[in-house]
Amino acid sequence: MTPRRLFFGTHYLWQLTVSKGRVAFDTFRQRCKEVEDIREARGMALLREWLSPEQRAQLDASRSFDVVGCHTGKRYRIRLGSRTNVYEIDQDGRPIIGWCFAPSENLVRGDVMLAQKIALEADENAALAVANKFPVPISHQ
Amino acid sequence: MGVQVIMDHAGDTRHYFSMDDGEALATAHDRFQLLMSRGFTAAVREANGQAKVVRSFDPSADETLFYPRLIGG
Repeated sequence: MTPRRLFFGTHYLWQLTVSKGRVAFDTFRQRCKEVEDIREARGMALLREWLSPEQRAQLDASRSFDVVGCHTGKRYRIRLGSRTNVYEIDQDGRPIIGWCFAPSENLVRGDVMLAQKIALEADENAALAVANKFPVPISHQ
Repeated sequence: MGVQVIMDHAGDTRHYFSMDDGEALATAHDRFQLLMSRGFTAAVREANGQAKVVRSFDPSADETLFYPRLIGG
């Protein structure tokens, strides 16, 4: 075998390996996305089960819903998300300040939002005791 | 039929049990205690749909939801 043939033969095998590896990686990535989508869908389904009809309609219309704190009577808006997504709002529905708190484990958005809703509606003081305040972004004002 | 819904990395895991089955109720009670000891919060839905946090096992609750301890972000 000439050096030239050896070179092209090795090159061909290398390209074949890379190509198959890329296909395998793409398949793996696609599978991961499907699993992630299923997890997200399960979380959102659970959230919707526990929302009131008004909150469900609000979520569909604006990707957020309002809750009333059980201890202070203050109103909060929970936006679609899992971090820095809870805002205390005024009488006109304008965000006043943000409250950052979430479950300690890595959960999907629907689960996080449901935990935030229940915490504010049924155990507000405990939720605010662990929460950190953050200013409202100008884009949300 | 009662169900305990536990939030986890997969979305949630559900454990169904018959409310007439003493052994199943005992298992559900033990699971409740275990989750409480791990810092989970348990909530049930009242007749008006409002969520209520519970600190002890309620064998008559149709659905009990558990979420992990809350932390500030």
